[in-house]
Amino acid sequence: MTISSSFDNEKPEHNPEPVTIDTFSLLEEVSSPQLVQTGFNPALSRIPTPQTVSVPLDLQVDCVPQWKPRRIPLKCIGLTLPDGMEFVPEQQPKLETSDGVQLKKISPPSPKAAGDSGEQKQKPTRIRPPADALSLQDRLFYLLQPPLESWLAGQELIMPFEPFSYQYEGIAWLFSSQAALLADEMGLGKTMQTITAVRLLLRSGQVRRILLVCPKPLIPNWQREFRTWAEELPVVTVEGNGSRRRMLWQMPGVPILIANYELVTRDLSEMPEDDQPRFDLVVLDEAQRIKNRDSNTAKVARAISRRRSWALTGTPIENRPEELGALFEFMEVVPPRGCPDMRQLSRLADRYILRRTKDLVMKDMPPRIDRDADLPLTDAQTAAYRIAEKEGVIQLNELGDSISVQHVFELVLRLKQICNYDPLTGESAKLERLAADMEEIAASGGKAILFSQWTKTIDWLEPRLKQFNPLVYHGGVPVKKREPILQKFKEDPDAHILLMSYGTGAVGLNLQFAGYVFLFDRWWNPAIEDQAINRAHRIGVRNPVIVTRFISTSTIEERIDRVLREKRELFEAVLGDGDGDGNRSLSLNASEIFGLFDLKARSQDGSRSIGPKCEEQDAA
Amino acid sequence: MSESGQDNQLRLGFLETIEIDGRGRIGGLLVTNHSGRPLEFQCTTPVRPNRTQEILFGESLKPWLLGELIGGTLLNRVSIKPGVVITSDPSLLELRNHTAIPVALAEDEGGADAHQTDSATFSTDTEPNSDDRPVRVGNSLLRFHSGHQADAQSLKSRQHLIPDSADLKEPLERVREALAETVRTVFSR
Repeated sequence: MTISSSFDNEKPEHNPEPVTIDTFSLLEEVSSPQLVQTGFNPALSRIPTPQTVSVPLDLQVDCVPQWKPRRIPLKCIGLTLPDGMEFVPEQQPKLETSDGVQLKKISPPSPKAAGDSGEQKQKPTRIRPPADALSLQDRLFYLLQPPLESWLAGQELIMPFEPFSYQYEGIAWLFSSQAALLADEMGLGKTMQTITAVRLLLRSGQVRRILLVCPKPLIPNWQREFRTWAEELPVVTVEGNGSRRRMLWQMPGVPILIANYELVTRDLSEMPEDDQPRFDLVVLDEAQRIKNRDSNTAKVARAISRRRSWALTGTPIENRPEELGALFEFMEVVPPRGCPDMRQLSRLADRYILRRTKDLVMKDMPPRIDRDADLPLTDAQTAAYRIAEKEGVIQLNELGDSISVQHVFELVLRLKQICNYDPLTGESAKLERLAADMEEIAASGGKAILFSQWTKTIDWLEPRLKQFNPLVYHGGVPVKKREPILQKFKEDPDAHILLMSYGTGAVGLNLQFAGYVFLFDRWWNPAIEDQAINRAHRIGVRNPVIVTRFISTSTIEERIDRVLREKRELFEAVLGDGDGDGNRSLSLNASEIFGLFDLKARSQDGSRSIGPKCEEQDAA
Repeated sequence: MSESGQDNQLRLGFLETIEIDGRGRIGGLLVTNHSGRPLEFQCTTPVRPNRTQEILFGESLKPWLLGELIGGTLLNRVSIKPGVVITSDPSLLELRNHTAIPVALAEDEGGADAHQTDSATFSTDTEPNSDDRPVRVGNSLLRFHSGHQADAQSLKSRQHLIPDSADLKEPLERVREALAETVRTVFSR
């Protein structure tokens, strides 16, 4: 039997031969449910029978993959900054006159930038970590300090005057220096920068105990500068007899000690090693004192136990390598007895020396800087002054109503002369200070003019300033010799100081090459002083002029200075920064001269004041 | 360690984060006294979210990462707690939802509408600052978290300790520099 499909017409091309199948087997297969009849009609009658498969349902729905937000453990690196010293800033003492009038502080002239109408926003001075600070914590300590301008802006530290921008840089540089040589030219404020950096180090807990070593004549200056720039810091001067000094060296809780070179050398060389004091910072002022490394002073200075070493000097010493080597040895940046060659010195100088000169920082500085040198009298001067004042006042009182301005004037002049120098012993605090300053100026190749109202004082000074080749120019010098003197002062590099009186000085006198002016004693009229100063300082002068006024403290000079300041302030308050006209009113009048002394005359009821009862004409 | 809640002293916290290429972000918190003098500094190790976190957190990733994770870790870790935390990144304001310490955003002068700025001192009434105006503290404008506007009032009693000239954005610059230095020194190895 042949099975055929419904497509019989098709020729079985691929089945050339029919397939023979057993019929009975076929029928069995047909009736078997597994066999499907082909063809359209059977297909129509075939009812699909879907089959089902039972699938169990999961009651739990798994989320794959599982994820929960979790807190990532973070590690932290911390730095706790040390507690600095906290000082309660003292109330600013108000200067009072004897009649209770309060005076204001006088600010230095503010720099006026040419063509600048608005405020210039100063770039803040950030403290940078020193190059040798390798640990992260050390570097972070410096980076996290606030800018100096905000630090010093009175938020925590009261600054009497705003530093110049180059001074901010100097302060920041000192703050981050273990070893430093600040070699700014004289008059640029090395003292102020040092004191402010010390203040910041104390505040930030970097140092606790500091020793400042300086020449003896400069101790009063440092004391005064600390009172001006860091009034909250306790400062102790090492002085007195041996037992007192030993006690002072060992006294705990004193942040700042000041001592002179001689005392340091003597006391520390005699002290047993176990008793030697330790300091976090040692500062040497006029550090050229240790330029000879084999001197006792240098040896003792190097032996002081310290963590930071700073040196201050205005003397350029680049041309004397041995001296630089001595300073670097103190600063512990060269080994003991080390002799660096010129190239090494140059590299060390780049890193450890900061020197600015007036011409470099001129744009930051005003053309003229006035500074007062308040100097206490020497012992001999003090004794002479007290005697003269007491006797003089007694004599004036005895004159009663017959007293005149001239009488008072004479006493004032006599006292002022003692302030210059003691006639008996020749001691002079002003001369000591002048010599110290001139040493620095002469070493820098600078020139200075000194003014005094007495030719006698000038003649007295001349031999005592011999090492600076002084030239004298006053009314006693013949006219023919005056011009050659000025010429020599200008051209001779060794002529460092010109001694002049206020009275001399003609129109046209031009001494612009002098960078320093000293007012040895004050004139009655500030305008005359200005005129004298302007011989060195003219508009368009290349370099700033530093004017130093010597004032003997607790003397008539201080009282005169106070009165003149009040008058100047009143003048400026009423008329502004005026010109020189009409300055006669700035000089002392009769009532003011009388007011310098509390003069009393005896009366029936006891005593009464002596003096003019109303404003008089100018006496000068 | 003194607490920051006393009226006579105020510790300020300055919080910043920076991105490190390929390693994620690190955060730093500087605590200063009211004058900006530094007292303590903490910074984190780098943290980077994985891809799953990036996808699933979506837009909430940055506030979570910076505010809750980095800021929260730093605030917990620092031993001298600040009285207020100041930042320049709005995402870090999220930290306020995880701490009781006020968190403020230091804004630029030009960013805040002038007429919406409070006057130089706080008003004398005791009602909290009800709207979202920035408040002048020192020489800077601070905007507090919108959900915690009472923070501005809470700072009132100690605001006088901050000088009028204080630039509250300046310490943030220090934090960024410190973080950069840390990256250079530690994480570059």
